[in-house]
Amino acid sequence: MKTRILVGLAATAMVLATAGCGSKGEAKQNSDDSGVLTLGASLSLTGSLAREGKLTQEGYDVCKNVVNNKGGVPVGGRKLKLNIEYQDDTSKPDTAAQLVDQFNDKGIKLILGPYGSATTEAAAAVIERNGQVMADSSGADDKIFTKGYKRTFAVLSPATQYAASMVEAINDLAQPKPKTIAFISADDGFSKTVTKGGADKATELGFQVVDTEYVPNGTSDVSSALTKIKSKNPDVVLGSVHLAEGVAIIKQAKELGVTPSGGFGETVAPPTPDFSQTLGASAENVLGSTQWTVKTKGSDAWFGSASDYAATFAAQFGGRQPEYHGAEATAACLAFVLAVQKAGSTDPNKVRDAMAQLDEQTFFGPLKFNERGQNVSKPMAVIQIQGGKPVAVWPKDSAEAPMKWPARS
Amino acid sequence: MARSLMSHFFQATVYGLLQGGMFGLVAVGFSLVWGVMNIVNLAHGAFVLVGAYLAFTLNQALGLDPFLGMVPAAVVLFAGGYLIQRYLVNLVVNAPIFITLLLTFGLQLLLVNGLILVYTANYRSIPTGYAARSLVLPGDVRIPLGRLIAALVAVGLTVALGWFMRRTRTGLAILATGMDRGAARLMGIKARHVYALTFGLSAALAGAAGAAQGAVSTFSPADAGRFTLYSFVAAVLGGLGNTAGALLGGLVLGLVEAWGGQLLPGTLVNAVAFAVLVIVLAVRPQGIAGRAFYASRVEV
Amino acid sequence: MAEVDVGEAGAVAAAPVDEVPARIRRTGLRAVLPWAVGLVALGAGFGLQTQLYTGQERTVTTVLMFVGLAAAWNLIGGYTGYACFGQVGFFGLGAYTVAVAMVHARLSFWLALPLAAVVSGLFAALVGWPLLRLKGHYFAVATLGVAEGLRELVTNLPRWTGGGAGVTIPTVGHDAPTPWLGNDGFYVLFLLLAAVVVGAAAIVAATRAGYALRAVHQDEDAAAAMGINTTVAKVLAFAGSAALTGAIGAAYAFQQVTIFPERLFDVDITVLMVVMVILGGAGTVVGPVIGAIAIAYASEWLRQNFTSGHTFVLGGLIILAVILLPQGFTTYLRDAAATRRFSLLENVRRYRL
Repeated sequence: MKTRILVGLAATAMVLATAGCGSKGEAKQNSDDSGVLTLGASLSLTGSLAREGKLTQEGYDVCKNVVNNKGGVPVGGRKLKLNIEYQDDTSKPDTAAQLVDQFNDKGIKLILGPYGSATTEAAAAVIERNGQVMADSSGADDKIFTKGYKRTFAVLSPATQYAASMVEAINDLAQPKPKTIAFISADDGFSKTVTKGGADKATELGFQVVDTEYVPNGTSDVSSALTKIKSKNPDVVLGSVHLAEGVAIIKQAKELGVTPSGGFGETVAPPTPDFSQTLGASAENVLGSTQWTVKTKGSDAWFGSASDYAATFAAQFGGRQPEYHGAEATAACLAFVLAVQKAGSTDPNKVRDAMAQLDEQTFFGPLKFNERGQNVSKPMAVIQIQGGKPVAVWPKDSAEAPMKWPARS
Repeated sequence: MARSLMSHFFQATVYGLLQGGMFGLVAVGFSLVWGVMNIVNLAHGAFVLVGAYLAFTLNQALGLDPFLGMVPAAVVLFAGGYLIQRYLVNLVVNAPIFITLLLTFGLQLLLVNGLILVYTANYRSIPTGYAARSLVLPGDVRIPLGRLIAALVAVGLTVALGWFMRRTRTGLAILATGMDRGAARLMGIKARHVYALTFGLSAALAGAAGAAQGAVSTFSPADAGRFTLYSFVAAVLGGLGNTAGALLGGLVLGLVEAWGGQLLPGTLVNAVAFAVLVIVLAVRPQGIAGRAFYASRVEV
Repeated sequence: MAEVDVGEAGAVAAAPVDEVPARIRRTGLRAVLPWAVGLVALGAGFGLQTQLYTGQERTVTTVLMFVGLAAAWNLIGGYTGYACFGQVGFFGLGAYTVAVAMVHARLSFWLALPLAAVVSGLFAALVGWPLLRLKGHYFAVATLGVAEGLRELVTNLPRWTGGGAGVTIPTVGHDAPTPWLGNDGFYVLFLLLAAVVVGAAAIVAATRAGYALRAVHQDEDAAAAMGINTTVAKVLAFAGSAALTGAIGAAYAFQQVTIFPERLFDVDITVLMVVMVILGGAGTVVGPVIGAIAIAYASEWLRQNFTSGHTFVLGGLIILAVILLPQGFTTYLRDAAATRRFSLLENVRRYRL
């Protein structure tokens, strides 16, 4: 019985000992004296978004390499080496928020966004509270930007434009022009916003939206939605989905004999290399919307034009071509580089103000934020899988090849 | 109109059954281990993925067809499963029940993260020339070839497993050990070896299921949890103690999802699938084809 | 939160029944000491707060949340022996009760918090009535199904819950029914919640109620024969455990501001509760506390230091811990102290086949 008391006392002593360790004080500032500018990045390296998280990390790495090879970030006559500290948020929003707080402890005030809208939204609230600044590389849901946040800046076009851009491309280029469209949407916030934006644009341009079916986020079985859509017989099927659902739509449509006369278009999935790798020939001619292509207009002093960026990326990753997840990550990092350069300081408040006034042409297109922190001046592009590769087909003035119609194999 | 509605319903049913066969194939090994050893193997989904990645690697390197790839995948996983049970799980078989659960959970973390480190988190699938082709029935009802083969394999393996368990000495030894380990040991059965055999068999079935899954669908390491969950549901719906239970459970699950998906808006069908599960448990805990013994046994 | 009494967790042979009432009724110093130690630990929790940066404070807040969750799960899973695998359902239910009440009814958080506990508790009693007749893994799957079903339901009621897009609780400006509590405020809130849960477990363990639950765990038929209404005992334990879990979920929702069904009904959270309780020592008061602190700390440390391989290492550590300490840390320590056998290898020999 004595042991029990002893155990209790020992446990208490341990708690007290822990309480004694470490002392509260002002976190050390990320000072210019060290000659290093450290950005914090919360990334999904494990969990359900691990694939996209990795692509985002590659983009950040390219930025770091290029900037450091050119000597670093010029700040008031000195050049700071760029350093990025990665942490894994395990694809969970609460962990992402916690990581931002931990970066704040270390004095890291400039944060590169996590992958995905949910994690970005969770992080944005903390950023605002701590007086940090975030360059959002992939949180596109418009909902994040309706909360009056002043310290989160998204380099990418908002969610409402993802499906809408494909509707516009079809309206501009398809011959014969289709009349009816059906949407398949994942049931997460981002995808639903995308679907709504696409459906609104379709109605505005005179298309008839015959059906909208929802599927669970990340599923690889969309057969129920396809069976229902088949009986509505739409001219075009547009998917507002992620990679797993996007691949499933094409795969199972073939199995079930769903062959819309106009073909298929999907957000997010087709520009990712996994899409044509896993689908092979059935991926051919499928349309996809993308934040960036090698034909995107604009250039900057760090990365040159979009095709220069592609060459740099390929050199760093064994000849692999970049896709938009990498490019938007690099662009977010570039936004910080430009803002720090312009502010002449790494002080988060000055960087925030410089970010808000940024108006630059870059390899990613224009970087200019509205009062909500969204980059609305940048157009989205539409790609089509041609010969197993995503090829830019819209807008027409930055297309690599004409759009093939119908958009199916 | 009525006719198109009929074929619409028929299509949903056919596809649901095929999908259910796939669930059954994934669940049959899970149900075996649970029935015999009373171990809920949370790493089962990870075993399925290891099988899928093995078949994928063989396909990339040698161009081996994924349905043929089931054989080497099953062999490798049998060996792995045998060793895991013999030298790991057997160490805690006499501990409180949820210890084995935790052990397999740890194994799951290890395997899934290991797969990410080795294969990255990229989405994969194993290409075949025929899997996405379909047999077309009247009324434009389609039977996709890949899924049909997978479902037939599921039925074949279930029948073979049933024969093995009832007609061979090893199978009977497994069954006997599952019913009363103490008595089985008195009869001269080496429980350690039999347990390891059972676990190996289950892992082999998981490996075969993984290869088939790779042929008809995409996979990435994050799918492990989903496969385990489906196995759980299918095993319970079908009931333990009967080799056909998992297949039956899978088919029911497939049908519920297919029909629910046609009738319900949004993704509410999943809520219904779980409601069916809970109701089946509350009303008939031994499942559709299971034996009451397994549902009411006192777990040590 | 000290060692009050320890359930047998089904591991070791049951203590003779007539011995137990004597052991749970204590007098003098031995009755007071555990409570004193608990109060000191609570004080240490407040002391620790003054020593932390805000980010560390948030991390420790998460640890405290898991202390509370693990201790709550222990009531049904540890003492009663019914391994609920859908505990996260009550966590999510509590969280969404608060979100709906604060968003749609403009209810103050301080009213929404007890409401969430009541809703979760009542819901648990309702589903527990039929499901608690199931045993072992069957009960686990049934509760898992309930939690998964709840998630799908929440996802498909976007008008009330925001669906997959998540719901944001208003926390700033005159829109907010209750202003956000700040990292300091939430630290205190979760510390107090953890103290309440552990305190409740200690009271249960030291009274007739705990005796009844442990009796149900060891032999339900015998317990019924002894005059315990086992159904009522089980349902009460389940509802109590769910209500406490719901209250913690409520606090979590308010802390996170925006909540998503995918995370709020994440099976991983249930699994963590189970891991913490089992490794710490099921059916003991301190076990879940030690387990929660150890696992939460280990996984956080690994995540920060092994950015891409941390779950690999964590998986390995769990396997190792399970094999070396299958009966849980506290139970091992108690038995080892009583029998003077500290060898871990001997421990392994006892449980292997």
